[in-house]
Amino acid sequence: MVFSSISFLYFFLPVTLVVYYLIPRKWIGGKNAVLLVASLLFYFWGEQLLVIVMLVSAATDYICSLVIEKYRHKKVIPKLMLAVSIITNIALLGYFKYFGFFVENFSSLFGLNLNVVKIALPIGISFYTFQTMSYTIDVYRGNLKAQNNPLTYATFVTMFPQLVAGPIVRYSEVEKELVSRRNTFADFSHGARRFIIGLSKKVLIANIFAELARTIAASGESTVLFAWMAGFAFFFQLYFDFSAYSDMAIGLGKMFGFKFPENFNYPYTARSLADFWRRWHMTLTRWFKDYVYIPLGGNKGSKFKVIRNILIIWLLTGFWHGAAWNFIAWGLYFALFMTAEKYIYGKHLKKIPRVFGHIYTIAVFFFGLVIFNADGLGESFANLAALFGCGGIPFAGLETWYYLRSYAVMFVIAVIGSTPLLKNLYGKASGRAKSSGKVSAPVLIGQAAPAALLQTKRAKALNVIEPLFLAALLIITTAFLVDGSFNPFIYFRF
Amino acid sequence: MSDKIKNIVNTVMLLLIVVGFFAANLILPDGEISASERRALKQKPEASASGLLEKRFYADVEEYALDQFLLRDAFRGIKAFSAYNLLGLSDSNGIYLSQGHVFKTDFPLSEENIVRAANRFNLVCDTYFEDKSMSVYYSVIPDKNYFANGHLKYDYGRLLQIMDENVNGMAYTDLFGTLTVADYYRTDLHWKQESIALVAQKLLASMGKGGVIPTNYAPHTLEPFRGAYFGQAAIPLKPDILTYLTNGTIDGARAYYHAFSPQDGAVRIEMPVYDTDAFGGVDPYSLFLGGPKMIVELENPQNPGGGELYIFRDSFSSSLAPLMLEGYSKITLIDMRYIRYSLYEMFISFTPGSDILFLLNTQALNYSAMFQ
Repeated sequence: MVFSSISFLYFFLPVTLVVYYLIPRKWIGGKNAVLLVASLLFYFWGEQLLVIVMLVSAATDYICSLVIEKYRHKKVIPKLMLAVSIITNIALLGYFKYFGFFVENFSSLFGLNLNVVKIALPIGISFYTFQTMSYTIDVYRGNLKAQNNPLTYATFVTMFPQLVAGPIVRYSEVEKELVSRRNTFADFSHGARRFIIGLSKKVLIANIFAELARTIAASGESTVLFAWMAGFAFFFQLYFDFSAYSDMAIGLGKMFGFKFPENFNYPYTARSLADFWRRWHMTLTRWFKDYVYIPLGGNKGSKFKVIRNILIIWLLTGFWHGAAWNFIAWGLYFALFMTAEKYIYGKHLKKIPRVFGHIYTIAVFFFGLVIFNADGLGESFANLAALFGCGGIPFAGLETWYYLRSYAVMFVIAVIGSTPLLKNLYGKASGRAKSSGKVSAPVLIGQAAPAALLQTKRAKALNVIEPLFLAALLIITTAFLVDGSFNPFIYFRF
Repeated sequence: MSDKIKNIVNTVMLLLIVVGFFAANLILPDGEISASERRALKQKPEASASGLLEKRFYADVEEYALDQFLLRDAFRGIKAFSAYNLLGLSDSNGIYLSQGHVFKTDFPLSEENIVRAANRFNLVCDTYFEDKSMSVYYSVIPDKNYFANGHLKYDYGRLLQIMDENVNGMAYTDLFGTLTVADYYRTDLHWKQESIALVAQKLLASMGKGGVIPTNYAPHTLEPFRGAYFGQAAIPLKPDILTYLTNGTIDGARAYYHAFSPQDGAVRIEMPVYDTDAFGGVDPYSLFLGGPKMIVELENPQNPGGGELYIFRDSFSSSLAPLMLEGYSKITLIDMRYIRYSLYEMFISFTPGSDILFLLNTQALNYSAMFQ
């Protein structure tokens, strides 16, 4: 089931919310049970029996962590349990996601002509295996106490808002809320706002760019401008699709009383690649940093070691995104640029005018996506060549101009939506500090009384407008969902 | 409004919308058909233990939820309005508005299909008309997009060139210069019968019937006529008025259609030239000669020596044929999409010395793979 579907919005969500809030506030176990059942249904709806894979991963980490906790003072058992957890999760991931890739390459390398069986990829396996592994590693490291209550633990692993496409939540981030949480109007309201905005980003922007990308791919017209449009259509689709999912997950989390970590922070406004990856899929970057990069030595040690660490991290990041050579090439591509940025031109990026830093970052990511989005390495090169008119393709044609005209407003909306411009304008108009929900006292105290009064009036007016705006957005996104059926989430495939 | 009140309003707003629609969708009965889209709506899928383990079941439920959603047409209208006016898109599901008309994008031209269409014309001629002294003509009806500006449409010049290069021994009559967008319904893809008398005259003249000028038509109107694009556009539009023409010839004409059933075999059934009851059906344009039929015969008892005309046609000819009847004793309409070319003589026999007219619209040619 996807969040941006009628069955989720108008069947699953209302039933879950009503049942959840009918449970008395103090009976947290009951609320967790509702969430657990709802989450299992949510997953079963999309994946049916593959829910077992998730339960195997969850059960393994639950048991391993309890054993680690119990035998913490022993030398071998905790290590053994950690190994069991990691091997089980990697084995599940390896079998369902990478087995076909390895067999295919092994077969072609040795000319064996092996029959590659297509294995169904359980949705979200890359997310929940990382989440459960991090739990066991944290227990092993002593950063966490293992959870005894299987219901509480299962609620954490299966929680439907973030189950299939992140953010990758660590147990420590929701530990307190799992055993004691308050559900307030403020949290529900902020969650609803975040959810509706995410839903709108997905349906009104990402899906429309997906349609454009699909139209261009299906078109018989091959032009330079079309190739750039296809590239930017995917560029915006990916950001609005994935960040929208995170927005919806965070919003839903809040509606149920959880505070999930942020996953995106306007990455397309970054001034360097290092800055970009601190803003894009932040929870994955953080996971690799804490559980792979730093244990490997991180930035410490010789230049050779650091470069090796960067290379390993980016190869893994590329491979995490997909079992194909173009994802590995994409990882290597970023390893190369991240290394160059670190050791060659990174310091200059800070000195040159900001705009050049933005252009550089966007350009590297854009060309990386051309590799990322292709069906194999051959298509990657062909798509890159088309961007520069190789093969004598014309600059533009009839369809190119038509679709450019048709989607011009969408491109403007996407550019503005990729920046914090609207958020800042809203914050300024309402007199709110950037991330708090209240009119901050220092803002009022620090201003002359009439100005402060005006600010308060504006804030009150915005409070009237906000629910109307959100209701309109929800109705419009519903209208787009009712009208069409093209609605895939890109990150479900990872 | 204070922050506290706003938070309560936001919460209530979301719950009212999602719980309200959930309850309403649950309580209200399901619809059978979508009149605006002229199709059956998805019904509740049967749940079974084995079905619950199949992905298909969940896809069916989603399709059902979309089809049966409360106020579905109103939501489709909001979508179309938002796509045009908020997001600046040139079309919504390929539908766009221009010059007061609704158009549906059809692009690109399939040269392969145009060649296939021309070859099918040739095949029919080779199979049935050799040594029968037939006079064979062809003409092409421009689809509405031909008249639209700034939108994707076929390369019509290329289409006509391919036809010209591939048909064998057929005389061509141009209709592109005879028609304007005003000759088509605003909410439908078809032309208006009251606007095509000139087309009928031109075709008759090209087939040596220049002396026949159909006249004295009495117009009859029916409304509202919500064309095929009316529902697809999903935005508030003024419906069309459907006008059908009669005169002494048409009033005296007899129409028949051919059908096949396993029990009775090939049968010939009489029907009205204009079936006004069909106007109230799913496809009001079926008023003209009963709508989609594989073979229709139109007899004119007032001109027994007028000869016969066979039109290989699409739905456009349903409204045109009655206007050409004055020139012939009988017109037979054959829709190549609904009958295999090798089966024609199971229902009819071709009279030597007749006129043959291949008359199809550009979209039918572009999808000639449908010709059987």
